[in-house]
Amino acid sequence: MNRVTIELWLWLGRRLEGDFESPSAMRSLREEVVEEGTTVRDLLGSLANRFKAIEQEVFDIQGQRLREGLVGIYSERVTGDDEFYRKILRDGDKVVILPVYTGG
Amino acid sequence: MNIGGYTGKILRVDLSEGTVSIEELEQAFIEKWVGGVGFGAKYLYDEVSPGVEWSDPENRHIWATGPLAGSGVYGAGTFCVVTKGPMTNFAGSSQANGYFGAYLKFSGFDGIVFQGKAASPVYVVIKDGKAEIRSAQKLAGKDVWETEDVIRSELNVGKRDVSVYAIGPAGENKVLYAPIIGDRGHVASKNGVGAVMGSKNLKAVVAYRGKRSFEIRDPKTLKEKNDELFEIAKVSGPIYQWGSGGGFSAVYGIGALPVRNYTTNIYPEHERMNGQYMRTHYEIRPKPCYRCRMAHVKEVTVTEGPYKGLSAEEPEYELLAAFGPQIGNTELGGVVMLSNEVDRLGIDCNEAGWVIGWTMECYEKGVFSRDDLDGLDLTWGNVEAAKALLNKIARREGIGDLLAEGVMRASRKVGGEAADWAIHTMKGCTPRGHDHRGRWPELFDTCVSNTSTLESNWGPVTPQLVGLPPFDPFSHEEVSTFNGKFNGIRQFDDCLGTCRYASPDPKLVVQCVNAVTGWNMSLEDAFTVGLRVVNQLRMFNLAHGMETKNERPSKRYGSIPVDGPTKGRNIMEKWGGMLENYYGLLGWDKATGIPFPETLKKLGLENLIKD
Ligand code: SF4
Repeated sequence: MNRVTIELWLWLGRRLEGDFESPSAMRSLREEVVEEGTTVRDLLGSLANRFKAIEQEVFDIQGQRLREGLVGIYSERVTGDDEFYRKILRDGDKVVILPVYTGG
Repeated sequence: MNIGGYTGKILRVDLSEGTVSIEELEQAFIEKWVGGVGFGAKYLYDEVSPGVEWSDPENRHIWATGPLAGSGVYGAGTFCVVTKGPMTNFAGSSQANGYFGAYLKFSGFDGIVFQGKAASPVYVVIKDGKAEIRSAQKLAGKDVWETEDVIRSELNVGKRDVSVYAIGPAGENKVLYAPIIGDRGHVASKNGVGAVMGSKNLKAVVAYRGKRSFEIRDPKTLKEKNDELFEIAKVSGPIYQWGSGGGFSAVYGIGALPVRNYTTNIYPEHERMNGQYMRTHYEIRPKPCYRCRMAHVKEVTVTEGPYKGLSAEEPEYELLAAFGPQIGNTELGGVVMLSNEVDRLGIDCNEAGWVIGWTMECYEKGVFSRDDLDGLDLTWGNVEAAKALLNKIARREGIGDLLAEGVMRASRKVGGEAADWAIHTMKGCTPRGHDHRGRWPELFDTCVSNTSTLESNWGPVTPQLVGLPPFDPFSHEEVSTFNGKFNGIRQFDDCLGTCRYASPDPKLVVQCVNAVTGWNMSLEDAFTVGLRVVNQLRMFNLAHGMETKNERPSKRYGSIPVDGPTKGRNIMEKWGGMLENYYGLLGWDKATGIPFPETLKKLGLENLIKD
């Protein structure tokens, strides 16, 4: 079993209240315990199955992808989409979901 | 003329002679070049010969709008400025939103060509199909906002009766990165378009509101498509709800926020500097551009901290980045204060950020003493010292004279290691407000662009909008392939006179163009127009001495991040391969980057093929 952290920078504080910590208005985070071999995609799917706000705003269960306009970061590293979803989670890993960057 | 959306007229202002004349546009010309940067690229190539420098009276300063401006498409008040600019001494193309693009057409013109140099400062007033050159003696030295106010009172008009675009003291003093600013806070900022205006003694241009006289071919379809565009724009990123600063923390999260001149990527204070924070803590008032339902532009009043009570434009993302992390500042009110200052003085905020950040690093590392900086204590985050420095730059006083040349030239003059710390492309232009080491498509684009700023893409990377597959943002091959295949559509946008935030879907934009003009253009045709512009500008630049060996970043700009989410990523590892791939996809010689004759022929640019 591995402990991993999922962090959302999506201003979902109120909608995930009670299930996720909310260190600031923007951030919601939660520790999950996952089995050996669990991928980032598995983790996101499992969260979407359990939390309505994640299913609605973060992970499209049918398409098995992040919803449009979001980007994922695996253990403080930005990667291409395919690599991101396939990553096998290790103890201490962190997955962060952000809106696709814009600006200027 | 059998096209909707155009007045069919170009105003020519000869500042040396003090004359104005009107030229009719031919239908074939309009169909080929569409407007905006298209018109600008064509006039620039035809009228500015190699050997003419940016500050020569023979240089042209072309302001052009396009078929969508004033058509009712939301946010379509945009215009484009094209000239040979001082940062690169090659072509520059820069857009500003606001009202001017629509008002210019309502006043009877699709564009203006300025040439020559006035003997003393002047401004130009455009109204009802006519133009007048007036003395601007009493405006000399005035900042941009004062200039707007004095002109409005001289013309005795209300706030929305005219659109005024002007230069501030920086443009008058030919600071190489002086922009043109108008409608209180809208900026055509790149490649020193305001310095060129200053070199022509042209202080401001005014367009009256006027009345629409051009035709819209299919108003019903236009309305439908326009509404669809708005629905998409509303949910395309955080702009509608939070402004461009709404993406600030996300930019930080992917390692693309510039922090202390690219010396780190750690900036935990980002949550007190983003659009969400500003809009939930400051007083906010809407200030939209011409007929824009997105209305993302706001005014703010600071409600806390040392700048409490200050009312100003809400800083856009670019300003937040330049005057927040890039100069080591964590006080949002300080950003608001500096944003006001650059707009008043008429200085490009991006270059200001690179210049101040580089100067602060030099001060920290002992390259500059306090005496060298005229007594200014330019430690990281000292926003009051930064304000004083901006004023020195705008007036070319003391250290400001060196820094008015931009970060590339200033750093080369100082030399030694400090030259390696400056962020710029080797052609002389500088990036927008990001750490592009976390945003490779923009880094590559900034270096190979012919416009002096982004050419193939901008901000959000959206391959899906034109049917391209997603790609790995850190694969040298996939990034250069994406840029090569995506190039064209953004230059087409810049032909139209509309705002990208309000018009994010290229297919719908093309449908709007068809509804206005009566054309039957496809997305592919739009790409062709854009690529024609790209190649026309490239041929101009090559004729004016551009060397493709300079299509690369400076040492710091292309360096490897030492921390943060992109730590260790090295774009330079395969830079040569990226260039070859990109040049090849655009139909350019892989070794030299020069367009092949067949490429030019395919785009209807046979006249540019040399025997
Ligand atoms: S989206 Fe923003 S910048 Fe664009 S036209 Fe509307 S208010 Fe102006």
